Amino acid sequence: MTEAYSNVLQTIIDEFRNISPETTNALIFKNNGQTIAKTEATTEDQTKQLILNFSSIALQAETIGGIENLTIQAADSQLAITEMNSLYLTTVSSRKANPEIVKSLSHVLVPTVVKLLDQVACLPSEAQPPPAVQMEEQEEQLEEKQTEEIPTEETVMPDEEVLPVEEEPRIQVESLPEQQQVFEPFLPEAPVNQLMVEKIGGLLVQADIVRIDSDVTMKWSELFEGKQINLVNIETLDGKKTECKFKPTKESKSNSKGVIQIPEKILQTLQTSKGKLVMVKPVIE
Amino acid sequence: MLKQKITHEPTPESPETTDGAAVISAGDENSGFASLAASLTEIRKLKDVLGYILRSNSSAIIDITEQDKIIEYATLSTQISESSLEIAKQFSMADIESVLVEGKNVKVLCMNVGENKISIFMEKTATHAGIIKRILL
Repeated sequence: MTEAYSNVLQTIIDEFRNISPETTNALIFKNNGQTIAKTEATTEDQTKQLILNFSSIALQAETIGGIENLTIQAADSQLAITEMNSLYLTTVSSRKANPEIVKSLSHVLVPTVVKLLDQVACLPSEAQPPPAVQMEEQEEQLEEKQTEEIPTEETVMPDEEVLPVEEEPRIQVESLPEQQQVFEPFLPEAPVNQLMVEKIGGLLVQADIVRIDSDVTMKWSELFEGKQINLVNIETLDGKKTECKFKPTKESKSNSKGVIQIPEKILQTLQTSKGKLVMVKPVIE
Repeated sequence: MLKQKITHEPTPESPETTDGAAVISAGDENSGFASLAASLTEIRKLKDVLGYILRSNSSAIIDITEQDKIIEYATLSTQISESSLEIAKQFSMADIESVLVEGKNVKVLCMNVGENKISIFMEKTATHAGIIKRILL
């Protein structure tokens, strides 16, 4: 479970207080006992004891098919634990709480968000082909137009005035076909990967270097054998772009799959934040 | 010393039970216990109710349809009783009225009435709110 995943859930948990002020405590924990998110009012001791005692019941509850819901009704409050796949949402609300609101939060909103997050977590590997295919199609179209225009440019004059303003975006792509024709005609198209943003910081973190899922960088190395890739192009879904240096993430960190770790400075340039998706493409020189 | 009596037919000393169910009754019973036992016997007849466990400090009645699940259900019942008390203490919840644990196929309703602890096992589709009212009457 990535930091981005738990940050989203923490945000939702923090909102409980605003939506239902009578809900004094809320927390989400995993079936292995790991705490994912909790309200400020919930202490470590409360969390620990809750998970411990819940686990004891869950162990014996195998005989009834596991626990889907657990409700403790007291004279002036209610504690409810709801299962959401491998996660458990716990809420403690006073009697004054609107039961419809609490139920909407615990049985509808949070489980829906969890499902969406699970789908998004799978998204990078599934979303790769479509953007790359689209980019390839666009570049192919641009190349076709370029090959049609080059002869006329050569016969007339290599004049900047000949190129209309609208063709300026093609200039970046122009260099590729020329290189292809002169040096490497079979250079593969640079793949575009959609990765989830994680923020990195600290004294030892360089402000101008991003860290990318090592599986992705390995694939680039294999695809562009012999080529040294030093820069990546990062583009947000809003269209903000930047180029910067990169390094692969450390393999020991298992939760870096599908993730790009970006320092604060670059996050500001891109006007993006953790949990958002960006398109990352290697810059082939 | 704990006495155990296994009966398959109703006797004057022990409450009526549904046919085929094993009832284990032990020790002396107080009036509150007897009253609850009578209510539970009626509740037991409801559709979707799979059985119950009633216990006090000195007595216990177990009436469960699936006899091979008696020990598992008894263990679960005890665990729910103890753990829910601990959880409630952590969150300063006073006077627990009921604990409902819903599994995949079965749900368990646990209540304390005085010194008597009740656990009622039922299908998930059963309406437990009505059962709670019956017990509290």
